[in-house]
Amino acid sequence: MLGSLYLPGSTWLHLAPAGVKLLILAFSSTALMWVHSPLLLLLACMLVCLFVRCAGASVQQVWLQLRPLVWFLLALGGLSAWSQGILQALEMVLRLFTLVLAALVVSMTTPLTQMMQVVIWLLGPFERLGWINAEKVALGFGLTLRLIPELGVQWQDIREAQLARGLTPSPLTMGVPMLLRTLRRADEIAEAIDARG
Amino acid sequence: MKTKDIVLIALFTALIVVLSLLPPIPLPLIPVPLTLQTFGVMLAGLILGPARAGLVLLLYVMIALLGLPVLPGGRAGLAVLAGPTAGFLLGMIPGAVVTGWLTLLLSGNDKLKTVASLNNAIEQAPGWQIVRYMLAAIGGGIILVYAIGIPWLALVTKMDLGKACWAMLVFVPGDLLKALIAALVAQRIRRAGML
Repeated sequence: MLGSLYLPGSTWLHLAPAGVKLLILAFSSTALMWVHSPLLLLLACMLVCLFVRCAGASVQQVWLQLRPLVWFLLALGGLSAWSQGILQALEMVLRLFTLVLAALVVSMTTPLTQMMQVVIWLLGPFERLGWINAEKVALGFGLTLRLIPELGVQWQDIREAQLARGLTPSPLTMGVPMLLRTLRRADEIAEAIDARG
Repeated sequence: MKTKDIVLIALFTALIVVLSLLPPIPLPLIPVPLTLQTFGVMLAGLILGPARAGLVLLLYVMIALLGLPVLPGGRAGLAVLAGPTAGFLLGMIPGAVVTGWLTLLLSGNDKLKTVASLNNAIEQAPGWQIVRYMLAAIGGGIILVYAIGIPWLALVTKMDLGKACWAMLVFVPGDLLKALIAALVAQRIRRAGML
């Protein structure tokens, strides 16, 4: 049911260390906030498009991620052009588009395990302070990924049961049985984990 | 933090993912379809309390940023942070905490005892519990999320703050409806003795 954004590959973008990519992304995104010339922004946008190409992403895959944003950007651009002028609107749309695309490149070229490693490294100082326990974070993370499809099936089950009884499922009629089952389940899973140590 | 807390956090995170991925529900009289993501945020706050609800949303946002398509419409990745609606996503973290905190405060078993003893009879009525839950869901799940999301939107898009507020007004009726349903669900869960 769930695939991450990662596209397997071995381009230089895939081989670069995850931490470095994230750092560059953070810096360049911040820097872009101070660029106001549409020409420079267009240049940055074209550069990022080149990166997308280098990462080996197909137009379809990129479009799937950008589709919801494009409509939003068009509406926003229109509003902005009307209230602040064409140049302002162009600047804003170009900047947002570039930022989103750049982040997408990092997401598409970095596997989940590497991302997790960066997260755990970032959490390191907090662990040394004794605020958090990286093992428990990992347990929560893993459990969640495991439970998403389960809860999806559970939702379908309840929906079908209600339809079979002639009810129209609504968030209210679905919410109560969904939560009751979920809370009951928490006891079972916790017991199972504790029993295994 | 006990194992059960971690399991509950994982379960609610998964629940919010499932709710986010469900197709939006079109409604009569309301211009925008209803997504159930914030419904999950409100439920987490109402049922888990501030600390665990905050961790649920933290985990959810982390999973989304790491690139798993768990946001409405299957979006994900760091790109979301660059997008204009990032404030609404990040705002959900304190939003869930505040919902949980308000739930404790308003239904306060110890804290509001003077008021409680005064209208002990009314206290027992389920209607008041629903009102309290709904207020908590509105305070954390709507007001706080908007208070972070709207200025963020205005800043990113260089839009006028007032205009951004107007633009977001279309979402308010749907959100209020979600707060009401979340309150009803939480009250029934409580009546079932699970809270």
